[in-house]
Formats: sequence, structure tokens, C-alpha cells
Amino acid sequence: MNSEVRSFLEKHDLLGCIQCGRCTGGCPVAARTDLNVRRLIYESMDEKMLDKISKLPQIWDCTTCSTCAVRCPKGLKPLEVLIGLREVLVESGMVQPTVRDALESVFQEGNPWKKPRATRLDWAEGLEVKIAKPGEKVENLIFICCTVAYDPKLQDIARNLVKVLNKAEVDYGLVGDGEMCCSSEVYSLGEAGLFEMMVEDNTELLNSFAVNRIVTISPHCYSTFKNQHPLLKMESVHYTHLLCKLLAEGKLELTKEVSRKVVFHDPCYLGKKNSVFEEPRFILKQVPGMEILEFARKRERSLCCEGGGGKMWVETESLKERLAENRIKDARALGADVLAVACPFCILTLDDALKAKGLEEEMKVVDILEILNEAAG
Amino acid sequence: MGDIFVLAEHRRGELREVSLEMLAAASDVAPKLGGNIIAILLGSGVNSFAEKLAGYSDKVLYVDDPLFADYNSEKYQQALSDLIGRYQPELVMVAHTTQGVDMAPALAVELKMPFVTDVVGLSFEGGELQPVRTYYQGKINADFAFKGKPPYLITVRESSFNAGDPTKFGTVEKILSPMKEDVQYRKFVEYIEAVVGDVDISQAEILVGIGRGLREEKNLPMIEDLAKAINAVIAGSRAAIDAGWLPHDRQVGTSGKNVKPKVYIAIGISGAFQHLAGMKAAKTIIAINKDPNAPIFTVADYAIVDDLFKVVPKLTEKLKELRA
Amino acid sequence: MKMFVCIKRVPDTSEADVKIDQTGKNVDSSRFSFGINDADNYAVEEAVLIKERRGGEIKFLCIGPKDSDVVIRMSLAKGGESAVRIEDPRINQKDPLQVAKVLAAAIKKEQFDLVMTGCMSGDDSNMSVGVALAEELGVSHAAMVKSVEIMDGKIRVRRELEGGLSEVVEMFLPAVITIQTGINVPRYAPVRGIREAQKKELKVLKLEDLGLAETEVSEAGSRVELLNLYIPVVASIAEIILGTPEEKAEIMAVKMVKGGLL
Repeated sequence: MNSEVRSFLEKHDLLGCIQCGRCTGGCPVAARTDLNVRRLIYESMDEKMLDKISKLPQIWDCTTCSTCAVRCPKGLKPLEVLIGLREVLVESGMVQPTVRDALESVFQEGNPWKKPRATRLDWAEGLEVKIAKPGEKVENLIFICCTVAYDPKLQDIARNLVKVLNKAEVDYGLVGDGEMCCSSEVYSLGEAGLFEMMVEDNTELLNSFAVNRIVTISPHCYSTFKNQHPLLKMESVHYTHLLCKLLAEGKLELTKEVSRKVVFHDPCYLGKKNSVFEEPRFILKQVPGMEILEFARKRERSLCCEGGGGKMWVETESLKERLAENRIKDARALGADVLAVACPFCILTLDDALKAKGLEEEMKVVDILEILNEAAG
Repeated sequence: MGDIFVLAEHRRGELREVSLEMLAAASDVAPKLGGNIIAILLGSGVNSFAEKLAGYSDKVLYVDDPLFADYNSEKYQQALSDLIGRYQPELVMVAHTTQGVDMAPALAVELKMPFVTDVVGLSFEGGELQPVRTYYQGKINADFAFKGKPPYLITVRESSFNAGDPTKFGTVEKILSPMKEDVQYRKFVEYIEAVVGDVDISQAEILVGIGRGLREEKNLPMIEDLAKAINAVIAGSRAAIDAGWLPHDRQVGTSGKNVKPKVYIAIGISGAFQHLAGMKAAKTIIAINKDPNAPIFTVADYAIVDDLFKVVPKLTEKLKELRA
Repeated sequence: MKMFVCIKRVPDTSEADVKIDQTGKNVDSSRFSFGINDADNYAVEEAVLIKERRGGEIKFLCIGPKDSDVVIRMSLAKGGESAVRIEDPRINQKDPLQVAKVLAAAIKKEQFDLVMTGCMSGDDSNMSVGVALAEELGVSHAAMVKSVEIMDGKIRVRRELEGGLSEVVEMFLPAVITIQTGINVPRYAPVRGIREAQKKELKVLKLEDLGLAETEVSEAGSRVELLNLYIPVVASIAEIILGTPEEKAEIMAVKMVKGGLL
């Protein structure tokens, strides 16, 4: 029996929209694509049109950055309407093959990258790392993330985190090789059924550990555990929260100088979605020798890198300059030689953009953890 | 007893090279079996093929019948079944091609023949024939032995054996067609040519081949840059075509085109045998793949075991610089 | 149209490091990811498309252990009516002729118009089950099919040949066709649909249910014997370029231009 008795209109409170256009006005991708979320909200009010609208390519340009939700005077969430439209297409089975493959991979192998479950911990080979045991008390449960675990470009982030935790003698344990996709992107892609299933499975798995806190590398994992897992019996934090605490309590000492001009890029899922702005900045301020610059578009106005919202699996139709390239240009204009990030998707898209712009000699895109490791000596 | 049947494969006026390759493979083991190498030619008005086959066999059994003007698995199976029944060969070889796989398994079931497919090696060990085939996209080899009674049936992979030069003087024997009438159930209708695009990759001097390793269409510009830098044409493995990155006329491999360029740069291609078969004959093969065990390296002249996303842009840059 | 589609759950070996286990006759699959055989997935989609156009019923057949249920349910969710999984450790899955015998036994008992299999499996690549199955069932077949047209009591298919050429073949139904990858775009089965598909019938059968004797389908009863598996020795060695990725690129570029390769 389908328990969805509410119509699309009711579910997304479409009648609450006053069509003011602040959403589209602030939407970072509206300038480079055909995405006009204000208009799509209006058109979606007619249930008969949903099938047609769900086939529009531009609904996949949304990165779920939440700028629209931040700006909406009625407190609505336009991005959820777009996710709802994606849901219509997903249920029909006719999603793009790359989306299909990512979703099937999560369903069958617990990660969207078509990698085997069995190799999830391969990044940790040769590293001294603690794995949590169900039932055994530990303070911090560490959740790595599918993308970090499997992408050779990002595996160093996990290693750096472990090294820092070991150095600071933190009481931690990794979820280990049973770790499976937090499914934040599954939600963004509109596969509600798979998302529900993963929430159930993850809640059961994570609750089996005797922990008070789960610490994630990716803001996406942090956000979904915090906001979309109501039965999860632990606090969900991002690694910047934990590291902040360690630095403030003197448990981690940064003694080596890292003399560089760094600008921090606020990840949408830390900043806009969860109002976490101070912790990454505090961490960077503790690094000796670091000169901290700020983007004009910072904090809530941070320019989305276009890595989230399923964008890893859906190519945009637009040929206009990517937002990430724009961000790189801005960072260079500031005179930064390091663009610091705290999200694996940001690293991938910004690093790609750096290469596309041919600026690898002038600037580096690095995760805060890499800087920390260097400074911790 | 001890004879080897080799089914010649031909299509649209062309005798396919695999026929001669199989005959060469047969000649390696024929002495041990103590019998003759017999080429089987089913066709209509293809005397010239019979003569060519005679240079590689002891005897050519040629059925000249309009019913065999075009390939039809039902007819081929009936004819072979009849001939095998009459001549009792020890081993029957059929090409592992779209024609061969369409017929051989049915023949094996009908005559209860011990059957090994996609054979890449054939030897005689410990008094018995040992065919070799591969598993897992060529990553593993397997030796087989026949347990049941002959005649044995194998399908042979193209380009696994070297045809070499004709060294035999076989007799051509035209035999009566075993077909009394046309077959009932399957009918050949027509051929359809591949849609011709703007480029014929089989004529290109320099090819850049892309495969699954490229991951997404959005990474194509990087390849286009490289191709432009060296006046190369872009081709792809089946993965690239199935993903819609390139039209079908750019496909290299057994279900695409056979290419023999001066240089073939394989980027993100693992080297499934269907692809290798289509480009192995290139003069120089440069392979870029992060998997050191990728089968593409078995045919490469130069191996770059690394991340293509790091190598290719730099390669393009350097090539542009050197050619400027 | 009453259709059977034969599907198989296979490991994804395209990226995997393949190792042989201690017996020397099996591959160590503990670190593989698994899924429906690629070509079979296209066959599933083709069957569903035919059903959407002409109506009919689809029954899925699969030989395998309980792990295979996942791919069966995903296929049922896309548009099948019921499925049969044949689970029996006595069956030698490495001999395509024996596999065909098992499938034939499951199909023979029912009336059917069309049987579809993938043209090749990603692990064993024999390209034989479908065609052998046709012979067991005593019906026509065509392998490597890239397009299907159903006419009255007949089927017209386009077979993909070498060199980009195709041939069109017409046959009387019932028939068996083996499907080539790329014939269509397989749809996605949403998890909600897979949950719904749990209600569809999935019968699990053993050899006795199929009326087959062990010797017909076991390793002992096979007419060929796998002697051993081994990693192939690379015949000719490629010149391995060394250095950082950037260095490799530079060295290669110099070889190409200065070394006269171009």
C-alpha cells in the first residue's frame, strides 16, 4: 500500500510560494543553465504536468546547495521541489545511465562508485588505525565516506585524519569495512525508496556501536546523519568540530610553520545547510605562518562548487564556465596560493577547475587536514 | 581418424583470415593426431577460396551450392553434421566469430561433442589435445582436456594464431551438397552496412582510442586536444560507444572495425580481447592505464601505468611544444 | 508473447585484481563486486520493451545461490511476472552445454514464444549458452542480436557482425535469441519497485524438480575437463615508461616526435 496520500502540491507546500523569485535570484547555477526553480514551482502545481516537468534536463543542474532555502522569505525549500521532481523520474526508471549505475551500486555494494564492498578499507593498508567494535565503548566513531575511501585522489585525506587523531591520542574507532554510503546523494538524486532503506540500515549499524558521537570527513555525511537520521543515537559532527575542540584543549599542537596565503571555501553542506562557519576558520588561524584571506562570497554566500546534488553523476547541459572555475579565478585574484576546503566533492571539482584553468603551479587545492598534518609536524 | 576439420569462414566475397589462422594452428597438432588437415568450404562460386585454402591444408572439401551463397546457421549446422558423420574427423575447428558462435554450440549439442570455446592456444600434452582458453576478460588462462569421445569441437579466437605463408599443396575436392532442400526455420534477409560517418577509422594513420577509464563524456575535450595536437582520429572501445561518447563507426574491435594505424594510443582501455583483436596489428601501440595488469599492456609497445587524467594533458602540452 | 529471459549474477572483473585460489581451479572472488551480467541486463530490458509494445508475460530464469535473488528481484521490478531460480551445487556452471541443459529442462515444460539470453557472460565468455539452449529446445536461434521486430508468428532480427556490418535474419517463432550489449538503454529499478516485486513468485528448484539426473549436469558428467587455471605470462614485454605522471608524459612525447613514431 502506498502511504503517499499527500499530493505533490501538498507535500511541498507549493501554495505557500509567493513567486517572489528570491530563490532563482540567488541560485548560483541559474546564470549558467536553464534552471529556473521559481517557474518550476509554479508549473508543478498542476499534477498533470509533473511527468513532463520531471523529464526536463535542467532539474539535474541543481546542486542542492540550499541558497534558495536560505533566501526564501516564506521558509520554503525550493531545492526539495526539484528533488521531488527527480523522484518522479527515478520511479519511472528512466533516469540517465550514470545515475542508474550510481544508485544500483549503492544498493548492491554500499557505495556509488561501483567498487566492491570488500575493498572499502584498502586505503588504510599499512597505516596504524583503530577500528571500532560493536558494543565496545569509544568516544568518537569515525565515518570515512565512499568517495574518500575509494578515490585514490582523496584517500590521503582519510590517512591524514587518522594520523592527526593518532598524534592527538584521541579515543576513536573507525566504522570499518562495514561502512556503507550515508546516502546523502541518493536523497539528492531523488531515490527516496533507496534512501529510506539506507537510513534504516545505517541507523541499525551505527547504533550498534557504543559511542556518543560520529565524526565524518564529508559535510554531506555529517549533514545527513545530523538531519535525516532521527533514530540515530549519537551526535553527528564534522571533523572540523572535533579538531577545533582538540586545538582549543591543547591536545593537538601545531608547531611547524606553513607560510602560505590561504583562502577558505565554505562548503555548502557545512555552511549554508548547517551554519558551520567558525570551526574551519579557527583551525586555520592556529596554523603558524598562515595568512588567512576571505572571499567576498563567503559563509552563507559561498559560491557552490557544483559537486553536490548528484552532480558527480550527471553532466550539465551547459557549456558556460563552471562555478568552480569562477571560484578558482577569485582565489587567484585574492592572491591566495592555497584554496582550503573541507569537503571531498569540493576538492574534486575545484581541483579539476584548477587544472582546467592551468593554474596548478600557482595554487593548490587542499583539504584542511593536509594543512593540519603538515603543521603538526 | 586423426583428421582435423577446419570450417572456412567467408563473407561477401572475402575469405576471412581466421580460416588460414585455424589451418596453421591445425598444422601444429596434426602430426601428433596422425591425420589430415581438411578445410571445409561451404559456398557458392568461391573456387578461388578453395584454391587459397589448399595452400594451407591437405584437402579442401568444397560444397558449391547456391543455398550457401550467404551464411545461415541452420544450413551450416546441417551440412557440417552430415560431413562429420561421413568423414569422422577427430577435431573440428570453427572460428570464434559472430558466425561461429551462432552455430557451433548447437552443433556440439546435436552431436554430443566435447566442446571448448574461444581457444587461444592448442597443444598436445601427455598424449592428448589440450586447448587453452581465457576467463575474466583475459586475466586468467585455463588448460582443458577432452573427456568424452571425438569428434571434438573448438571455436578459435581470431588473431591467436599466425596464418603464415602457404606451404601445403592440398587437393580440392568438390563434393555433393548435403542439402536436399532449403532449410525451414531460418532465412537470411539482407546485409546492412554500418552508417558511414565523416571519418573512416580503418584508414587513419594515427588513432587515439578511449575506453571506460575516461569515465565521462565531459572528459572528451582532453582527448580532443591530444588528437588535434598530433592529427589523430578518435576511436573507442565498445564501452565508449555504448556510453554514447562516440558513434558506432568509431568503434574498434571485433564488433567494430579492425584498424592498423601507424600509432594507436589506448587511453583508459583495459584491453578486452574484442578490442585487442581490432587494433593489435597497429605498428606502435602506446597504452595509458592505471591498472598494471590491464591486458592492453600485453600488446603495447610502450606502457604508461598511471592516471590518465594526469598524463594526457601533459602529453598534449609536450607534444604541442615539440611540434611547434 | 510468452517470454523467458535467462539471467546470471557475475563478478565485475573489469577493474579487479584476479587471483586464483588454492585449488588452482577457481578464482578467489572474495574481493569482487557482483551484479547482473551486462548482456543479460540488456536482454531484460528488451523483453520489457517487447512486453510494453505487444503485451505478454516474462519469466526470469537464473541458476545460482540465494545471492542471485537480488538481480532476480531487480529484473522482476522492471517488468517480469515471475521467476525461477535453480539452486543445486551439483550443477557445473562452467560447462555452457550443461548450463543449457538445465535451462532447457526448466523451460521445456511450458509453452513459450521467445527465449532471450545475453550473448556473452562477463566472466566465462563462452558465448554458447543461448545457442545450445535453442538446440536443446528444438527451436531456431540467432546470436548477437541488436534489434528485434516481432511479426505474426515470426521474428526478424538484426545480428551484429564484424566490421560494423549487420545481417538481417527472419525466423519462425518460437525461437531463442542472444542479445548484444547496446541494443537499448536498460532502465533503473527503483527500490520501491523492488520491494513491490517481493510479492512476485520466485520458485527455487533443484535437479529433481527438473527431472534431470546428476550425471547430465555435473562436473563429472561434462565432456571436457578444466585442468588448471593460471595467470598468463605476458608474451612480449612493453617498454615501461617510468617517473611521475608528468615525467612519463614528457618522455613519451619526446619518443613520439623525436623517435619518429608519428
